[in-house]
Amino acid sequence: MAAKRTMTLNLTDAEMQALDELSVRKDITKTAVLRQALRLYQTIDARVERGEKLLFENEETKEKAELMLL
Amino acid sequence: MTVEVSRIYLLDVATGASIDAELRDGIEQEQLDDWRTKWQPALAVVLQELAGRGVPISQWPQSWHWNWDQKSARVQGLLSYRGLCVVAQGETQGLAQIDLTKSCQESRQAGRPLVYLDYLEVAPWNRREIQRPTRFRGVGTALLSAAVQLSLDEGFKGRLGLHSLPQADDFYRGMGMTDLGPDSNYQGLRYFEMTADHARAFLDEED
Repeated sequence: MAAKRTMTLNLTDAEMQALDELSVRKDITKTAVLRQALRLYQTIDARVERGEKLLFENEETKEKAELMLL
Repeated sequence: MTVEVSRIYLLDVATGASIDAELRDGIEQEQLDDWRTKWQPALAVVLQELAGRGVPISQWPQSWHWNWDQKSARVQGLLSYRGLCVVAQGETQGLAQIDLTKSCQESRQAGRPLVYLDYLEVAPWNRREIQRPTRFRGVGTALLSAAVQLSLDEGFKGRLGLHSLPQADDFYRGMGMTDLGPDSNYQGLRYFEMTADHARAFLDEED
């Protein structure tokens, strides 16, 4: 496994609660949630930079909505 | 990026001896060079022979068109994708690419993150449908074990998913993975998933 470095993270109560809930729901540690978030953000950002769009589609109605990224 | 190297053992089919091999957690230029200069010519000979005998393309080794140069270039620098390879006697014996952005489909673990094995291929001389006897045995299993281990290291508890080429369906069934059937969103290929319990049993068996 690659060497890791430690950092301190300051989160609000609401952010911490969201992190706790995701950790339970996804059955992964809080660290794993944050690492997963970073991976997904980087992947999406790279694709948007290439000119692609991020869309959500409702499986039933087939309605599409674009997620705007900052 | 520094590639970590672990020692593993493969079976030399000709001698029955166990030989030292390296499992590396990255695909580097050396592997791509091996794919281009060693795997491709070996595969070309087989494909030419199959074409000469009039064997339909549907019966050719199903990964014949895979291009590892392109696969590697597409995911260069992205944290979501990992490469694995097995090297023995100075040559690349197997390659795998992993996607860490996918979620489980099996009902008991649906929505939880898993290690998705996007591609796994062993060198032509290690594939029974191409060469008998093969040179080394254990390359595919070593790559699958490494993917399960990565799932544990990432905190995904061994959960792993993959779409199987039809010629490999029995291999993954034999590993105890759950067969969730053909996936209409993925060229009709069967989707297999390993649960955390399967993963523990699989790794215990490998030890």
